Amino acid sequence: MPKALAKTKRNDKDIQLVQAINTGRQDLFYQLVQRYENRLYNFGLRMCDNPSDAEDMVQDTFLNVFKYLKGFRYETKFKNWLYRVATSVCLKKKRRSKFAPDRELSIDDFLPSDESAIATELPRWASQPLDRLLNEELGGVIQQALLDLPKKYRLVVVLRDVEGFNTQETAEILGLTPTNIKVRLHRARLFLREALKAYYETE
Amino acid sequence: MKPSDPNHPHGNCLALFEKLSEYIDRELDAPTCMEIEAHIQDCKPCQVCLGTLKQTIELCKHLEHRNVPETFHQRLKGAISDLAAKHTE
Repeated sequence: MPKALAKTKRNDKDIQLVQAINTGRQDLFYQLVQRYENRLYNFGLRMCDNPSDAEDMVQDTFLNVFKYLKGFRYETKFKNWLYRVATSVCLKKKRRSKFAPDRELSIDDFLPSDESAIATELPRWASQPLDRLLNEELGGVIQQALLDLPKKYRLVVVLRDVEGFNTQETAEILGLTPTNIKVRLHRARLFLREALKAYYETE
Repeated sequence: MKPSDPNHPHGNCLALFEKLSEYIDRELDAPTCMEIEAHIQDCKPCQVCLGTLKQTIELCKHLEHRNVPETFHQRLKGAISDLAAKHTE
C-alpha cells in the first residue's frame, strides 16, 4: 500500500466502520448516519435557504453514500468524501437563491471608497469577547450574509471557517486548486465582514 | 498614523490587504509574515482591517449548531431502511 494511502487510513476514525459496512455489515450504516447527521444538517442550514432544503440535502447525501460507499477508495478521509457527496448534492440543486445570483466578487469591492472611509479605531464589536457578541440575532445576521454570498464563495467559507476543513481538504472536496480556495475564501470573508460592519453601524 | 500620512507607503496596505486571510491562517512564509508584522505595527488602518477580519472568522467558527429535528431523524431512518431493503431484494 502506498505510504500516503496508509497514512490516510491510519488517521481516519471512520475507517473501521466503513470497512465493516463494505464487507457485508450493512446494518452498521445507521451508525455512520448517527455520526454525521447533525454536522451535515448544520452544513445544509448554512448552504440552503431553509431547514426543509437542508433536510433534503442531508437525506440525498446519505442515500448517495449508501449507494456509492463500495466505490470509496480510502484515498481521502471518509469525512472529506462525505462532504464531497454533500457538496455535489448542493450544487445540483437547480433552484437559485434570489438573494445570491452567481457573480464574481472582486477584491476592489472591499477597498474603502475614499480616505474618509478608512477606519483607524478598532470597532467595539471586533474587540469584544465572542460569548458577549454571539446571540440569536447576530447568528441570524451571519446566516443571512452567508446566503447573500454567491454559492461558489459560500461553499468555500462554510467548509473552511464553519466546518473547519483546511485549505487542502477544501480543495479536494470541491475539486479546485488550493490557490483558488484561498482567493475565494478571502473574498468571502471580506464580504461577511462588510455585512457585520453594516449591522453594527446601523444598530 | 493618519490615513493621509504622506510618508506612509499605502501600496503596502493594498498588498497586505490581499494577503490578510493567508496571514491569519498562517499560510505565508516567514519572511512575508515578518514584512506584514513590521507594516502592521505602524499602520492603524491595517490593524483595524486585521482585527475586524479575525473577529469575522471567529464568529463563523462559533456559530450555534442545531440538532436534526426528531421528525426528520425518523424520516431519514425510514428512507435508508427502504433503500437497504431494495438493495437486498
